[in-house]
Amino acid sequence: MNLALKDAQYHFFKFISSTIGVSLLLMVVFVLGGIIRGVILDSSTVVLATNADLWVVQKDWLGPFVEASRLPKDYYHAIESMHGVAEASPLVMAWAHIDHPPASSGLMMFMYRNAKIGTATMVEPHWIDMVGELRFLLIGYEADHVGGPPMIVAGRGIEASHYELVADEKTGLKLGEVIRMRGFDYTVVGLTKNMVGFNADPVIYARLADAQNILFQPDPDLLRNIRRRTGGQLGGARAVAPRVKEPAMPKASALSENLHMINAIAVKVEPGVSMEEVATEIRHWKHLEVYTSARQVNMQLMGANRLIVMQLSLFRLLLLIIAGVIIGLITYTFTLDKIKDIAVLKLLGTQTSRIYSMIIQQAVLMGLLGTIMGAMMEFASEPYFPRRVSATVGDMGQMIVLITIISILASLVAVRRAMQVDARLVLGT
Amino acid sequence: MEQAIETKQLVMTYGQGRTKVEALKGVDLAVNKGELLAIMGPSGSGKTTLLMILGLVTVPTKGELILDGDNIYQGDKRDFQRLRREKIGFIFQFSNLIPFLTAEENITLPMDLIGTSSGKAHKRAAELLDYLEVRDRAGQLPEKLSGGEKQRVAIARALANSPAMILADEPTASLDTDRGLSVMRMLRKVSSEQGTAILVVTHDERMIGEVDRVLQLVDGLVTSDESQSKAKSEAPKADPKPAEQPATDS
Repeated sequence: MNLALKDAQYHFFKFISSTIGVSLLLMVVFVLGGIIRGVILDSSTVVLATNADLWVVQKDWLGPFVEASRLPKDYYHAIESMHGVAEASPLVMAWAHIDHPPASSGLMMFMYRNAKIGTATMVEPHWIDMVGELRFLLIGYEADHVGGPPMIVAGRGIEASHYELVADEKTGLKLGEVIRMRGFDYTVVGLTKNMVGFNADPVIYARLADAQNILFQPDPDLLRNIRRRTGGQLGGARAVAPRVKEPAMPKASALSENLHMINAIAVKVEPGVSMEEVATEIRHWKHLEVYTSARQVNMQLMGANRLIVMQLSLFRLLLLIIAGVIIGLITYTFTLDKIKDIAVLKLLGTQTSRIYSMIIQQAVLMGLLGTIMGAMMEFASEPYFPRRVSATVGDMGQMIVLITIISILASLVAVRRAMQVDARLVLGT
Repeated sequence: MEQAIETKQLVMTYGQGRTKVEALKGVDLAVNKGELLAIMGPSGSGKTTLLMILGLVTVPTKGELILDGDNIYQGDKRDFQRLRREKIGFIFQFSNLIPFLTAEENITLPMDLIGTSSGKAHKRAAELLDYLEVRDRAGQLPEKLSGGEKQRVAIARALANSPAMILADEPTASLDTDRGLSVMRMLRKVSSEQGTAILVVTHDERMIGEVDRVLQLVDGLVTSDESQSKAKSEAPKADPKPAEQPATDS
């Protein structure tokens, strides 16, 4: 006969309403865990999706998503020909924007208004006005090389040499939508999913040449200005070397307009070859910086997102402690309600371990049910969060172990109270 | 006849110095199996203290207690919890059934505590429910039972492990005369048919007609210990208060 279950069954409404309260709290704990995992995934998605072993960037520069490394495009040929390199892919990546309002659903507008009200005393006028531009991480890659979208959820991949894009669905762009960047029209031919930069901005993929044009091409006014300045600087050369100026002018202009730059080279190493050996070779002979994918993720996670991960983890711990305290208080009040029954049980000769186990079992049962219900609610609510929230069944398993320990510890106060109950309480009254 | 319980010179003292109170001053008592004994006395007479000592929840300052042939305070230290489970049944003024267990579960609980198999426990519970004429209430929670039914279920619970002795603390105090008499007759039936010694602590003189013996306790001393017929004619007026304070106040 399980006394804990019988009692919970008898006080069903009280027990279940308390459990729902605990489950709501634990749902928030799960959500925080999901947000942390989301930040981790955001920090690693693009790097992992590229499926490169090594990332080559300008010497003394950090990875291409963290610092604006620039290399001549043709370096990748030299790296590709090195021993142990299976593939080298030139990549261009940088954050860009278009004048296009970010996708906003009714829920998103609610969240925006909530944020606006919630931060009303924290911001100056217009700081929190909704922006009209869509920010994204633009990645340019060569056809038949690594670095493109890992999956297409609608439409197709990029097939043409120019003016086609694949966008993450979080951009809100539609298939066939045409967007204008740096004077050219680009058509969205495919959609991908969950491809975001480490700051959760969605990714748009383009051919390398298009991306170079979008990211490196100065606007026409600036270009005219550069040409005029270059001409002015070479003007002095006419007196000393009149024949030099004419041929030097276009060369100098071309240098300033050079689009044949890339940000990084993604390298795949041949099977069985040591990544460290290849990295050492590249560092030594090409005077470049080389990072593994793990180090690349580490830079983004522990560089840009370090503090948010730590802050959320701390908050999650606090909530877990609060959940434990609440379970403890509920169990304690349940025990206070049963003082006389406990005295009767003691008088009937019930083993004390069985009485204490009844209290502990109820706390654990509440914790476990709360965990499962909280996890279910978290899983159901994940798609509605503005940023990626990704809790897993593994998280639930981990939480089940943790909450079992917390529930046992939390019930000890109630057990202590039960220990103080005197069997004599029911005699002579 | 075989003795269920015997006490020799039980003394119980609370406090020290000026606050010292002698609740029992040398109580001798012997109750045979199948005997129904009423313990009566005014408030502060030591009834509750005696009940607690007999129920193995309080250890006397001095004296001996022999339960079912076992001298409890001599030799190795006894497991009082186990002895209570196996040798003693309890009946209380307000039945004190466990509210979250059905009538049947309340009866099977003591058997569950001594490791009786579920099948045997259910069979025994059914027998007791029949015996106490509450079979149709087996699946009901205590809150759905009347006062008399609750006490019958409490008697069944006390009988579950066939104890050597049942201690009944004011079992009729919360019942009207008819229901009280019905409960006492049930106890009478149990003691004679089951061979269980039953000690009833009561203030209720209306009930003494059902008992074999009446033991009068005054200021911690047994002032009379008489058979039922004599007790009925000579019993002093009992304290009208329905219950006694816990032993610490005795």
